[in-house]
Amino acid sequence: MGHIANLREFSMNIKHVAITACAMSALFASTAFAEIKVGFIGSLSSDTGLSTLRGAEIAIDELNAKGGILGQQITLVTADTGEDVTEGIKAYEFLAETEEVDFIVSGSIDDVSLGWMPRMREFQIPTLDTWTSYIGIIDMLVEDFDSMRPYFMNIASDEALATLYIDFGKDVLKDQMGWNSVFILQEDTAFGGAINGLVTDALAPNAGIDVVDTLVYDVATVDFAPVFSRAVDSGADFIYLISSVNSQVVSSQYVKLQVPLGMTGVNVAALGQEFWEDTGGAGGGISTLSPVPSVGFRLDAASQAFLDTYQARYDSRPSFPHFNGYNAYFGVLQAMAAAEEAGGFNNTTWVDAMEKQDLILEIDGEMWIRYAFWGNDEVEPRTGRTYPHNVRFDITEPYDDGSPSMVVIQWYEDGSNAVVYPAKYATGEFVLPSWVEK
Amino acid sequence: MDLRWHHFALWAAFIGGMLALPQFVSSGTLRTIIFANYLAIFAISWDILSGRTGYISFGHPFLIGIGAYTTAILTKRFDIAVEYAIPSAVLMTMVGGLILFLPALRIKGSYFALVTLAFMELIYQLVQVIRPDLTGGTRGMSGIPTLTLGARDGFYLSFSLMAAIALSMWLLMRTRLGTALSAIGMNEESVRGSGLSTTRLKLFAFLTGAFVAGLGGAFYVHYLGSIAPRALFDINFLFTILVAALIGGLSTVIGPMLGAFFLTFLLEYLRPYLPGAERYFIYGGIALLLYMYEPKGILHLFSRGLDRWRERVSS
Repeated sequence: MGHIANLREFSMNIKHVAITACAMSALFASTAFAEIKVGFIGSLSSDTGLSTLRGAEIAIDELNAKGGILGQQITLVTADTGEDVTEGIKAYEFLAETEEVDFIVSGSIDDVSLGWMPRMREFQIPTLDTWTSYIGIIDMLVEDFDSMRPYFMNIASDEALATLYIDFGKDVLKDQMGWNSVFILQEDTAFGGAINGLVTDALAPNAGIDVVDTLVYDVATVDFAPVFSRAVDSGADFIYLISSVNSQVVSSQYVKLQVPLGMTGVNVAALGQEFWEDTGGAGGGISTLSPVPSVGFRLDAASQAFLDTYQARYDSRPSFPHFNGYNAYFGVLQAMAAAEEAGGFNNTTWVDAMEKQDLILEIDGEMWIRYAFWGNDEVEPRTGRTYPHNVRFDITEPYDDGSPSMVVIQWYEDGSNAVVYPAKYATGEFVLPSWVEK
Repeated sequence: MDLRWHHFALWAAFIGGMLALPQFVSSGTLRTIIFANYLAIFAISWDILSGRTGYISFGHPFLIGIGAYTTAILTKRFDIAVEYAIPSAVLMTMVGGLILFLPALRIKGSYFALVTLAFMELIYQLVQVIRPDLTGGTRGMSGIPTLTLGARDGFYLSFSLMAAIALSMWLLMRTRLGTALSAIGMNEESVRGSGLSTTRLKLFAFLTGAFVAGLGGAFYVHYLGSIAPRALFDINFLFTILVAALIGGLSTVIGPMLGAFFLTFLLEYLRPYLPGAERYFIYGGIALLLYMYEPKGILHLFSRGLDRWRERVSS
C-alpha cells in the first residue's frame, strides 16, 4: 500500500511540476511575445541612414523607460538597404514577414522608398519616411488613398521645398545679388537629375534667371579644375551645384581653386556638422538648401534636449543628427502615441490617430517647428493642391501654420554656419566668399 | 540525347519537393527563395549566352532591363494587359539579343566583354533621359501591376517559371545543338572546321539567352511592382549574376541554380546577425574561397563527393 501511495504522491508531484512548467512557459511565452516591434529600414553606412536609426533608438529608449506603450516594451529591428533598390525591397520583406514588425521608420533615399512602396501597400504596415521628399509618393496617396493609408512622410515634399526655394532665387539670388544667369553643375545620380529638372523648369524661369549651360559629372570625379574652368568660361553669374555623393570633394576644390564665381545649390555633405572636417577646413562660402532642422538652425527646447541626448550617447559620426534624425525621433514618439490612443497599429484606427498628431515646438511663444500632417482633402493655399499624410509645412510668410519647407544654410570661412533664408529663421547673412568679386 | 530514367526521377523529386516547401517553411524563407529563383533564371540565361559559347557578356542587365522596362511601360503607362505585355517584352529582348550579337561577329574575348558593358551603360543613361515620362527617369516607376499577392503565390509562380526554364534548357543542352554550343566555347575554329556554321550557332545562343533573360526580367518586374535604372543597370547586379553562374558551375544548368540559391540564402541568413555592410565581406570571402578551392563550382564539389561515396560503397 505504502508503495502505491508513494507512486500516487510521485504522480501528483509530476502533475504539479508539469502544470507549473506549463504555467511558467505560458508566462514566459507571453512575456517574450509581449512587445511592440519597430523596424528601421535604411542605410546603416550613411550619415543620413544613421541619423534616422539613432533618432528612433532614442525615442524608443525614452518610451521604454516610461514603461513602453500599451503595457509592452518596444524593440527595434534594423534592416540595411545599403542604398540599393533591390536590397530595400528585401529589407522591407524581412521586416514584414520574418520579423513581423508593427511599425516601420524609414531613412531610405528616393528610389529605395519607391522600390519598397508596393510591399508597403501589400503588407499595410504603418510606415513613416523621414528622409525622402519625393512628391511622386505623395501623388500616390492622392491617386489611391485607401491602399496608401498607412504611409506618412514627415519631411516636406520636394514640390513644397522647391516652391520656397524659388522665393530664395527671387529674393536673394536675383534681387539681392543681382545674378541673371546660372551654370548648373549636376552629379550623375537619380537625385541629381530630379533636382536639375526642378531648377531648370521652376527656379530659373520663375526667378528670371537664364540657364546658360549644364554639366553632368560622374560622382567618382576627383579633379574639378576643368569643370570649374568651363563654368567660368560660360559667362554665368553663379554656379548651381547639385551634389549628394562625395559633395565634400567638389566643395573643397571650389574653395581651394578659389573659383571666381558664387556657388549655391544642393550640397548634401554640407547638411552635416562634419562638413568642415570632411573638407579639411575648405568649405567656406558653400551654401545649400536644407530641410529643417538643419545645421545653424536655432533649436527649440525639445529639439535641443534631443540633440543633447544624441551627443551624449553617440561618439561616432554623424556627431550631430541630420534633419531626418529629428524627424525620426519626433515621428516615432508620435507613431507610438497614436498606437496608444488607437489601442494598437490597426490600419484604420492607428491611421486616424496618427492623422490627429500635432506637436508644436515653440521659441519665445512663436511657432518654430510643427510635426502634424496634411489631411486627405486639405488644400494647401499657395500651391492649390493636396498633400495627404505629408508633414504640415508652411510656404508663406510669416510661417505661422507649420515649419518652413526648407531653409538655406551657409558655411562661412571661419568654419561657422548659419541659416540665411528665410528671414524669420535667419541667423546670418548670405555672403560671397572673400575671393569672389562682387 | 543521353537521357536516363533516373534523370527525370531526380527532376520530379526536386520539383515535387520544392512545390511542397510552402507547407514547411515560413513566408520569410519563401520570399528569399523567390529572389533566388529569379537570380537562377538570370544566371541560367547568362550561362547559355556566355558560359557555353565563351563570349563573356558584361551586358546581361541590358537584356533583363529591356524585358523589364518594356512590360512595365506597357502595363503602367498604356494599360496593356500583362498577357500581351510580357510576350511583347520577350520579343523586344530578343531584338536586344540580336543587337548584342552584332559585335560577336567581329570581336571576342575582353574586347567583346567591354563592348557589352558599354551596352549596359548606354541603356542606363538612355532610360533616364529619353522619355522620362514613360520610363520614370532617374527614380524609375512604382505601382507596376503585380501578378501575385503574398509569399506563397509569388513562390509558386517564380519557381514554376524557373523550373520550366531550367528543365527546357537542360533538355536543350543535351541535344547535339547544345553540344555544338559548348564546343564553340572550347574551340570555335574546330567547330567551324567541322562544317558547322558558328555564326548561326552563336545567334541561336544569343537569342535563346535573350529569350530567357527577357522572360525572367518581365516576370521579375511584375513581382517587384517597381523598377529603377539603378537597380537593374548596375555593376553589382551584373556581378551577382556572374558570381552565381561561376560559383555554381559554368556550362551547366544546375550550377547557376545552385549558385543563385547559395548566394541569396547566404546573404539573407547573415542579415539578422550582421545587419550592415559586414555581411558582404563574409559573402565575398566565402565566394572567393569557394572559387579558389573549386573553380568548377559547387556542382563539381557535389559530384566529386558523390563519386567518393560511390567508390567507398563499391569497395
